Amino acid sequence: MHSPELLKGTLQTIVLKVLKDHGRMYGYEITQRVKELSDDRIFLTEGALYPTLHKLEAEGMLKTETVNIGKRVRKYYVLTPEGKSLVKERVAEFADFIKTMANVLQVQLG
Amino acid sequence: MQLSDDHIAYIRKDLHYRGIVHEGLEEELIDHICSSVEEQMEKGIRFIDAYHSVLKKFGHTAGLRQTQQQTLQINQHSKNRLMLKNYVLIALRNLRKHRFYSFINVAGLSVGIGICLVILLFVLNEISFDRHHVFADRIYRVHSKIDFAGNHYDMTYAPAPMAATLAADYPEVEAAIRFRERGSYLIKRETENIKENNVMWTDKDFFKIFTVPLLAGNPETALAEPNSIAISKKIADKFFPNEEALGQTLILDNKLNMKITAVFEEMPSTSHFHFDVLIAMAGLEEAQSPVWFSNNFQTYFLLREGANPKDLESKFPDLILKHVMPQLKEVMGADFTLEKFKEAGNKMEYYAQPLLDIHLKSSLQGEFEPNFDITYVYLFVAIALFILIIASINFMNLSTARSANRAKEVGVRKVMGSLRSHLMRQFLMESILLSVFSFILAVGLAYALLPVFNELSARQLSLPFDQPLFYGGLLLGALVVGVLAGIYPSFFLSAFKPVNVLKGNVALGMKSGLIRSSLVVFQFMISIFLVVATIVVYLQLDYIQNKKLGFNKDQVIMVDDAYALGDQRVVYKEQILQNSFIESASIAGYLPVEGTWRSDNPWWLEGKEATQENMVSLQNWQVDHDYIKTFGMTIKEGRDFSRDFLSDSSAVILNEAAAKALSFDDGIIGKRINTFGDGENGGVSTTNLEALTVIGVVENFHFESLKKNVSPLMLFLSKRPGGYISFRFQSANTEEVIALLENKWKQMAPGQPFTYQFLDESFGKMYAAEMRLGSIFGIFSTVAIVIACLGLFALTAFTAEQRTKEIGIRKVLGASVSSIVVMLSKDFGKLVVIAFALATPFAWWGVTKWLEDYQYKVEIGWWVYALAGASAFLVAWLTMSYQSIKAATSNPVDSLKNE
Repeated sequence: MHSPELLKGTLQTIVLKVLKDHGRMYGYEITQRVKELSDDRIFLTEGALYPTLHKLEAEGMLKTETVNIGKRVRKYYVLTPEGKSLVKERVAEFADFIKTMANVLQVQLG
Repeated sequence: MQLSDDHIAYIRKDLHYRGIVHEGLEEELIDHICSSVEEQMEKGIRFIDAYHSVLKKFGHTAGLRQTQQQTLQINQHSKNRLMLKNYVLIALRNLRKHRFYSFINVAGLSVGIGICLVILLFVLNEISFDRHHVFADRIYRVHSKIDFAGNHYDMTYAPAPMAATLAADYPEVEAAIRFRERGSYLIKRETENIKENNVMWTDKDFFKIFTVPLLAGNPETALAEPNSIAISKKIADKFFPNEEALGQTLILDNKLNMKITAVFEEMPSTSHFHFDVLIAMAGLEEAQSPVWFSNNFQTYFLLREGANPKDLESKFPDLILKHVMPQLKEVMGADFTLEKFKEAGNKMEYYAQPLLDIHLKSSLQGEFEPNFDITYVYLFVAIALFILIIASINFMNLSTARSANRAKEVGVRKVMGSLRSHLMRQFLMESILLSVFSFILAVGLAYALLPVFNELSARQLSLPFDQPLFYGGLLLGALVVGVLAGIYPSFFLSAFKPVNVLKGNVALGMKSGLIRSSLVVFQFMISIFLVVATIVVYLQLDYIQNKKLGFNKDQVIMVDDAYALGDQRVVYKEQILQNSFIESASIAGYLPVEGTWRSDNPWWLEGKEATQENMVSLQNWQVDHDYIKTFGMTIKEGRDFSRDFLSDSSAVILNEAAAKALSFDDGIIGKRINTFGDGENGGVSTTNLEALTVIGVVENFHFESLKKNVSPLMLFLSKRPGGYISFRFQSANTEEVIALLENKWKQMAPGQPFTYQFLDESFGKMYAAEMRLGSIFGIFSTVAIVIACLGLFALTAFTAEQRTKEIGIRKVLGASVSSIVVMLSKDFGKLVVIAFALATPFAWWGVTKWLEDYQYKVEIGWWVYALAGASAFLVAWLTMSYQSIKAATSNPVDSLKNE
C-alpha cells in the first residue's frame, strides 16, 4: 500500500481521470474503482475525497445529478467540458512530473 | 444485499449525533456508508461491525467533522458571492420602491459629480502647461522690475544684449535666446497675401531650449542665418499643399524674402506661446543694439543641470552695475550716480522666473498670451468640492431621514440574526450602487457640458475615453463617494436596538435632526455665497461696460493694417468720408484699447533741468487731426489740433494726468516740453533735444484695463500716420459700412487681406476673463442652489409624509391650510435664515478681496446680500411650499382612516 503522503497531491488528478474514463460515478464507486485499478494498493481516504469533489464542483469542473434509491439519495458526479480539458492537462502534467522524478532519483522506469 | 430502512434510519441518526448536519454532505455520506456496509455484509459480516469499520475509515467522529469542516470552507466562497448578489438585489428593490428619493439622490449626485469632473479636467489641463518641454524645470525667463521716472514696469522685456551676456559670461547658463514681437505680417508665396498674427523673431537656440519637434530641417542650423524662417505645419500646409516646404521661399510684408529652414509641429494647446512663424533674429538690426536701458526682448535661458537659479539671481545686481549704469551715466550726465538714481525713487532689478510658473503665476507686461491665475484654480477646486459636498449631504440627509421608515426593517433583520456588519454592508451597497449610477450619468452629463464649458473657458478639453486610468479613476471615485456618503447612514441605521425599534421608540423626523439641520445650513451657506459672488462679478462687469471712459466706444469701426495701402491711406480715408453716414475718420495706431500700439518716453517742462525729479514718463501717441473728434474725447482746456495752424506739427495735447504730473501750476497751455532726441547709432542724445508746445488738455480717458489708473499721456501729430484707420459711423447701417470699406479696400489694395474690428468689441475683449468668470460663477451657483433645493424638496416631502396623521388630526380639530403650511415650512425656513447669517461675512470678505484688484470698482451695497439671501429663501420656500400645500390640502379622512 502506498503512503497517503505520496498520494496527497494526486487526488484531484485521480478523481478527474477516473471520471473521464467511466463517465457518471458516485463517491463510493470512485473509491472502489481506484482500489481495483491499483490492485488494492491505493485506498482513497474518504475524509479527503468528499471535500475534493465539492471543491471541483464549486470550481465548475464537475456537475452533479441526484437519484433517489429507496430511503437514500445517490449523488452522481459528471465532468463538465471545462473538467474534461482539465483532465488532459493534469494527466500530461503528472506524466511529466514522473519523468522528472525519475531523473532526479536516478531510477529506471519499467 | 439491500440495507433495510431501519438500518438507514439508524445511520442517519448516528451521523446526526456525531454532528454531521451539512445537507449535501450528509446524504452523500449515508449513501457511501450504506454501499460499503452492504458490500461487507455480503461477505457475512454483521451490520454493526461493518458500520463501525466504515466509520473507522472516515476517522470516526473527529474525522467526519473535519471532512464536514473542509466541505463547508469550500462552499463558503460561493456563499459569499450569493450574499453579495442578495445585497445587490435588495438594494435594487429598495431603490425602486423609493423611486422619488432615489431619483433625487441620483440627480443631485450626478449633477455634482458631472460638474466636478469638468472642473477636474480643467484644473489638470491648467497645471500641465509647458510641461511638455524636456528641460521644463531648467528653463527660466528674465523678469524685469524697473521703476523709472515715476513709472513702474513689471515686465517680461529685457535689454537686447542680455541673452548673449548671460550665455557668454555666466557658467550657470547653458543657452539663452530672445523673442521680439513686431506685430502681424502679410505673407505671400507669389501674389496673394495672407495675414499671419503669430509671427516672432527669435535666436537660433530656440529649438535647443524648447522642445518643439521638427518635421523637416535641422534644429542645429535652422534659424542660424539671416533671412531664414521656421514655420509650423499649419503654415506649411497652407502655402505649400502637397509640397515639400523646406528650402522654399516666402515673402513677408511684400519685401522680406525668407528661406524656410525648418517645419515644426503645431505647439500644443498647453503651451504659453503658440507661434506659427519664427524669423531668425540674426536678420533684425534692432537685435544687434548694444543699448542696455531699452527693454524690448523677451529673454529665456536654459540653466545648466544642478545650477541654482537663486545663485544666478544674486549676480544680477552686479550685471546691472557693470553694463547698465555706465550707459545711463553717459546719457544722464556726469553727475549721475547710482545713489542719486535710487534717491529719485528709481530701481532696476532682474529676476529668473521659472517657465513652469508662467502660466499660473505670472501676469507681467509683455506676456505672449493671457495667462491664467492660480487663485482661480484654487477657487474652482474649492467650488467643485463644495458642490460635491452639497450633493453628498443630500444623500446623507435623505438616507438618515428615511431611517425612521427603515427602522422596522433593521429591527426585523437583527432579530432574524443579522449582524451589524451585515446591515452596514447592505446599506453601503445601496449607496455604492447609487453612486455608480450617478457616476455613469455624470460622465454623460460632463460629455454634454464640455462644449459649453470650452466655449466659456477658451480651452479644448475632452474626456480621456482612451485612457484606462480614467475608468479606474471613475470607479475609484464612485466607490469613495459611495462609501463616504453611505458610511454615516449605515452606522446610524445599523446601530438601532431591535427592542426599541420594534416597540416604535425611535426618534422620528426632525427630532433627530441636529446633524441634518447643520448640513442643510451648510448647503445654503455655500449657495448664498455663490449667489453673492455671481451678482458682484456681474455688477462689476456692468460697471466697466457703462463707466464713463472718457471716449465713446460705440459706433467706431477700425480697419487693420493701414500700411497695406501704402501712400494711399489718406486717399482711402478721404474717399470713404464722402459717404454721409461716415461722421469722421482718423488714422492712428495708438487706440484706447489693449493690444494696440504703445510707446513711452521721459519728458520734462522746458526750462527745468533734465533731472530725474523733473522727468515724467509719458505715453507718446502719434495721431492725426481728427483723432479726438473720431473717438469722442473731450478737450478740457485749450484746443484740438487744427489744419489752420501749420505750427501744430510741433504741438502736443496732454491728458489731465500728464498735465498734472508735469506742472502743478495752472496754465500749462502754451508751455513747451522737452525730451532727448535721436543720437548716433540708435542711441539717444543728451544735446539734441526735441521740443513740443502744449496746445490743449484732453479729459482723462481709459486706455488700459480699469484695473489700472489712467497714466500720463500725450498726443501729437504724426507726419505719416499708420496703424488703424478708424471710422465713426451712424448706427443702423453696419453692414453697409463694412461692404463700403471692403470694396474700396479691394480696389486700392488688391491682394491685401481686409480685416476690421469694432471698438466696443475690442474693448469688451479686455474683460473677457471677467465675463468668463461671471458666467462660470453663474453656472456654479445655479447648480449649487438646484442641488440644495432638490435635497430640501425631498426632505420636506419626507417630513410631510411623517406627519400625515398629525396634519390630519390638526385639520379635524380646525387648523387652517395656511397655518399648516407655515408649520411645515417654519423649521426649514429657520435654517435658511441661519445659513444667510453665516454666509454674509464670508461673502463680504471674498467680495472685498476680489474688488481690491480694480482701481475703479462698483460700490457693493447691503442690498446685494439681502437679494442673495432673499432669493435663496424664496427658492427654498417655493420648493417647500409645494410639498407643504399638498400635505395641508389633503383630506384628513384619507390619512386617518387606517389603523
